[in-house]
Amino acid sequence: MPREVQTVRSGWRRRAAAIAAGVLAAGLALLLAAVCAAPGPRRRAHPDRIPVHFWHMWTADWKAVVERIVAEFNASQTRYEVIPLSVPSASADSKFLLAVAGGAPPDLMAQWNQVIPAWADSGLLMELDQFMTPEEWTRFQAEVYPVALKIGRYKGHLYGLCTAVSIWACYYRPDHFREAGLDPDAFPETLEGLWAIGRTLERRAEDGRLVRMGFLPQWLNMYAPIFGGGFWDEAASRAVVDTPANLRALAFLAECRKALGFNEVVRFESSLNQGQGGNVDWPFISGRYSIVVDGQWRVEQLARNAPDLEYRAAPIPPPTGGKRHAGWSNGNFMIIPKGAAHPEGAWEFAKFWAGWGDPARAAEFCTWGGWLPLWPPVAEAPAYRAFLAKHPAFGTFLDVLPSENIVPSPPVPYQVFLNDQIGRVDDYAMRGTKTPEAALRGGQAELNAELARRRRFGL
Amino acid sequence: MNAIRRHLAGYLFISPWLAGFAVFTLLPFVASFFLGFCRYNVVTPPVWVGTANYEELLRDPLFWRSLANTLIYAGVAVPLGMAAGVGLALLLNAEIRGMAVYRTVFFLPHIVPVVATSVVFVWILNPDIGLVNSLLRLAGIRGPAWLADPNWAMTSLIFMSLWAVGGSMVIYLAGLKDIPVALYEAAVVDGAGIWARTRHITLPMLSPVIFFNLVMGVIHSFQYFTQAYIMTQGGPQDATLFYALYLFYRAWRYLDMGYASAMAWVLFVLIMLVTAALFRTHKRWVYDAA
Repeated sequence: MPREVQTVRSGWRRRAAAIAAGVLAAGLALLLAAVCAAPGPRRRAHPDRIPVHFWHMWTADWKAVVERIVAEFNASQTRYEVIPLSVPSASADSKFLLAVAGGAPPDLMAQWNQVIPAWADSGLLMELDQFMTPEEWTRFQAEVYPVALKIGRYKGHLYGLCTAVSIWACYYRPDHFREAGLDPDAFPETLEGLWAIGRTLERRAEDGRLVRMGFLPQWLNMYAPIFGGGFWDEAASRAVVDTPANLRALAFLAECRKALGFNEVVRFESSLNQGQGGNVDWPFISGRYSIVVDGQWRVEQLARNAPDLEYRAAPIPPPTGGKRHAGWSNGNFMIIPKGAAHPEGAWEFAKFWAGWGDPARAAEFCTWGGWLPLWPPVAEAPAYRAFLAKHPAFGTFLDVLPSENIVPSPPVPYQVFLNDQIGRVDDYAMRGTKTPEAALRGGQAELNAELARRRRFGL
Repeated sequence: MNAIRRHLAGYLFISPWLAGFAVFTLLPFVASFFLGFCRYNVVTPPVWVGTANYEELLRDPLFWRSLANTLIYAGVAVPLGMAAGVGLALLLNAEIRGMAVYRTVFFLPHIVPVVATSVVFVWILNPDIGLVNSLLRLAGIRGPAWLADPNWAMTSLIFMSLWAVGGSMVIYLAGLKDIPVALYEAAVVDGAGIWARTRHITLPMLSPVIFFNLVMGVIHSFQYFTQAYIMTQGGPQDATLFYALYLFYRAWRYLDMGYASAMAWVLFVLIMLVTAALFRTHKRWVYDAA
């Protein structure tokens, strides 16, 4: 290669290297500036007060609501300062466990995962009834909605104070009803009737693909109580899977799937965005479902994301011989870990949020979050009544709330395992891989094996 | 004395890494061996249970299922990835205009974060509106439900593994560049065709790199986790319940850290055995220039 060409190339390389070094230096300088300019940890507004570290899992709009409630509490008294922290829900449980194991837990945590039996059984949670006088505890048990008590109680003690309960019911589209020649004011009284109407509302493409689901009954956890079954034998205080009522429920769900086509339903469902977290693309809004079972929080989301959508809500109707106003439920609840530095402050804030002694205030909070309350006085407060007048569909969920037939997951320390097994049973039957009988039998065998294992391990 | 001082300086320079290794790798490694013989839920002190966790493993159908899934994945995805990597490297070793661009294009997927890739592939493999089934529909074929179908979920993940084949391809390319041109020239003079040159020069000379990628690929396959965790969570019907995923569930979902530790040690021994077995085959097919 001629010497001049080599010289030119080497000069070009030097320039390129100099430019690259300049860009790198500028990038580093920018990064440093960004780090310096970033806001540091939030300063405490009331450093003279007792701090109450509060973890929760809400994000986006709901996080703003939580911070508003915290601000109300901090403004309402002069002893405590609640310091909220939103932790990612996917890692919240493990973060909590590691914090407890490390001896630095928060003072209070808002939860909705099914953690109470397992964590209480491991001695991680404080009994909240110890903060009440015997009279208060008795009155509390008598006044709160039954399901709220079931969610928070384990082995006779309260470990979680519900601030809101979740109830599922049917949302349906009157426009689809009219289009199919049905009367939207005559919602079916039985599950069988609802299923039949769902088939009328269903739409398929020319190649047989489902493009609109009329009604898809699914989720054994939800339908087992509706058929009079469930997974908790109260009399024997033990979890069960394979019962005649559960079999009736699973057989009904599997028959519906079979009629729609097992594979067709899988394909239809995979093509949907489930609209979680308040998304505007909830398939009900886009008309992919005519009737869908979902929670009460959708009412507020629909008002915000689809204000012009005509819809109604109705309780899930029971099958012939089944139970009215039944189903599965969970809720938002407050737990105080053992080792919390300031449990009294944590309890004060939990009570404040739940409306203890001031239901009108809790009613305001419930309307901000679109939540169902812990006890009837909150629902009867003027703010909540105004909210109901504005969102009539919410009344459906409130009507179902007091029912004794609404149940949470069984209060057993192996609740996660049990729920996984129920999900497995459900999945086998819904795909037609096993008959409902075989699926339930298999689930019960797995449960028995787990119980035997726990006994061998002295649990 | 000077030598000691010099070594000490070296150890001091790497002391942050040494401290990190000791605290975050060595200590948990040793602790997990002990915990494998305990009942332990992270928050309460471990309770000695002897070999009970290992005995439970033998009885646990999900343990066997997850092991089988992992072996199937390793047995299919690793050879497939090696064939694709070598094939691509051979193609991209040609001296044609714009080759650097082609190489970059094939390497780029490798540097995309696995989580992002997984989320995108969930949509690409969507049965109804995914890219793959849309293309199949153009050809008049109704594609399977891929990740939602127990019969296709594993296959989907195996095919998806080819997406990041660019990483191993670059190593193969580097290996190809190391093969002396004189060997090919001599072969051409002797009348060897392209297949003969590939069979008798390229592959033997590339065998050390192939061996390296084989060992690394097998080890990574045994630890396969992220894609399954994000895309299928082990389903449908445990079709993609990989060993590492099940281990994670036992540890953090069921808080059964003792059982998970036992699983981790079984995995460790398995990986050591398979790697040792591969090294035993080393002399038979790997060219050693030394």
